[in-house]
Amino acid sequence: MGNLDTDAGVTFEQSYATTNGNGIGNGKLPNGQSNASNSNFLLDNTIVDEQQREALVQILNQRKFSAPAYTEIRTRRSAAKAAAQAMKFKNANASNYHPAKNLQINGQVHALKEKPDFKPSQVEGKLSPEKEHYAKTSFEEVPLHTACLTYLGFYLLMILGYINQLLFVPKVASEKGREGYVTLYDAFESFYSRYVYRRIKDCWNRPICSVPGDELTLKDRVTDDYGWSFKFTGTQTRCLNLGSYNYLGFAAATGRCADESEDRARTAGLAYCSSRCELGNTEQHEELEKLTARYFGVEDAIVFGMGFATNALNLPSLLGPNCLVVSDEKNHASIILGLRLSGATIKVFKHNSMKDLERVLREGVCYGNPKKGGLPWSKIMIIVEGIFSMEGSIVRLPEVIALKKKYKAYLYLDEAHSVGAMGSNGRGIADYFKVDPKEVDILMGTFTKSFGSAGGYLAGSKKLIDFLRTNSHAHCYAGSISPPVVQQIVTSMKTIMGEDGTETGRNKIMQLARNTRYFRKRLAQIGVITYGHEDSPVVPMLVYLFSKIGAVVRTLTTRHIAVVGAGFPATPIMEGRIRFCLSAAHTKEQLDYALEVIDEISDDLGLKYSRKPRDPNPIEY
Amino acid sequence: MLDNLIEFANYWWFRYLMVTELYMVEKWERVTIHVIFMVLFCVFGYFNYSVLLSFAGLFGPKSGIADILPTAAAAAQVAGQGVKVI
Repeated sequence: MGNLDTDAGVTFEQSYATTNGNGIGNGKLPNGQSNASNSNFLLDNTIVDEQQREALVQILNQRKFSAPAYTEIRTRRSAAKAAAQAMKFKNANASNYHPAKNLQINGQVHALKEKPDFKPSQVEGKLSPEKEHYAKTSFEEVPLHTACLTYLGFYLLMILGYINQLLFVPKVASEKGREGYVTLYDAFESFYSRYVYRRIKDCWNRPICSVPGDELTLKDRVTDDYGWSFKFTGTQTRCLNLGSYNYLGFAAATGRCADESEDRARTAGLAYCSSRCELGNTEQHEELEKLTARYFGVEDAIVFGMGFATNALNLPSLLGPNCLVVSDEKNHASIILGLRLSGATIKVFKHNSMKDLERVLREGVCYGNPKKGGLPWSKIMIIVEGIFSMEGSIVRLPEVIALKKKYKAYLYLDEAHSVGAMGSNGRGIADYFKVDPKEVDILMGTFTKSFGSAGGYLAGSKKLIDFLRTNSHAHCYAGSISPPVVQQIVTSMKTIMGEDGTETGRNKIMQLARNTRYFRKRLAQIGVITYGHEDSPVVPMLVYLFSKIGAVVRTLTTRHIAVVGAGFPATPIMEGRIRFCLSAAHTKEQLDYALEVIDEISDDLGLKYSRKPRDPNPIEY
Repeated sequence: MLDNLIEFANYWWFRYLMVTELYMVEKWERVTIHVIFMVLFCVFGYFNYSVLLSFAGLFGPKSGIADILPTAAAAAQVAGQGVKVI
């Protein structure tokens, strides 16, 4: 923050002292001196074997960052609280948030073994499924004054942007030597990114330089010109990672997945330099497809090298101009792009509203295609996502299936975020609702998130997949998936299925479910507004204002927590949010640390918008 | 005591900047907006002083509609007469 804002009166020394003070308290140490004492403590008191000790020393040496690129927002309350916290932590070493947790890569199952009984939600099994889903999903209304202030602030930013553009035209804003041409770039979008997004650009596109496991290392950078350009300081910040889609914690540089992928790269190389239809099809790909089909309990599956392209390139081969698509309003950009490419007629229904879905379907069936004088559509397809990534809500699958059957429509379910993360066996939304996966016509998902790899799949009946094999652009023209990438998927999938002979997969799924429930309940107790379903590991925390997105991301970075903010183009103007993505790799201590910090900063920055009654009892993990 | 006050003011100034999105803009832009705010405020004040204040005396407990809107009162009188005639 300090690099952008000199007004808050924070000098470098002050902020350094603050961070240092916290560091002694919680074990996250930004400077070399305390590192030494920390490592001494670790080496003396922790029983680790020789290999682990080496790894630990490596990690500690790696964290040689001297000057933080971010400075803390120092306020009356935060200073007092931080001091109190430091005192508390000095006395109780047991609750330290410790970098040594980093050693337990790829299997955070220790906490689980002590408490194997998973506590279900209060409403579970007491209500009908629809009501239960409704009770677990929360979209709290924005307080009126916040809504007004958000719009006022947005208008102020616009006014300032126009003044700014009028007075100082940046070189990139006008094209030279192009008389008579129309402008190549969309005016409002470039205006928006220059004068709104640019001001808090340091909160996005942050380069990292480590594996995005439960912790990651951010590469520090500073800006001298309010976000027009950035300079690397050469330092790094180790942060707790609450931003990656690493739901099951398979993104790791060590462990079984990484080893097997490495072996595969050594035996099979990195690329086949050909598409699946030509010389790029191998036994390994076939095995992956069979495994995927078995994983979801359907007849067949087809895999692609890129998750986004799976949607964007396969939807056009399934749909044509005389098709009606009924699409949820919060669907991902890849689906929207695919639908536009297909030329089908798109009708949007309100987010997760079954009433609206039925209305759109009924109108589609009754009135037919208006472009062809009301002749019936050749097919109607409902497209929904399993977990909506910006809302954190879960699709009401059983009701959608009932509607689909009633109106004889097809159902395309995008499980990008839910596969692996949902259901007792990690098989996605169908598993979560205990629905037969064959009732969903087309199951789509990615390997990028839970499996810690890259690519996407489509699964369904044999007939569908055979059709895709001959008609899909992504299958015929895109290069086949790289061998180590395939190996990572196969190994992680087998681990989740328990075919490696261990309980690791099950434990990871359980750990994620527990983390999710705990984190969401604690956030509700803190009093911030979160969106979505109780069981979804994507947790959007509403902050509404652009400034607050910036302030929260910057402040959390000073406290060594990396999160992702989401603002206007991705969300409605009024609903800026911070998105936490939970992972099975997180331990309770890490979450507790994060929650404590969130509690503190939401007091300071005024994020406690929620007017719901708060649970006075401590939340059990 | 003074320190506390300054800290209090600083904190709420920061919160004010936050809710008006002025936190993330450059300093000269912040000054510009504040100048605009002040000008608007002064114009409102002047308007209240010069225009609205002259009406203030009319809104007393004893004032009737005739004091505030003489034309409306006259119209009502005319209408009343009309009723009387019929």
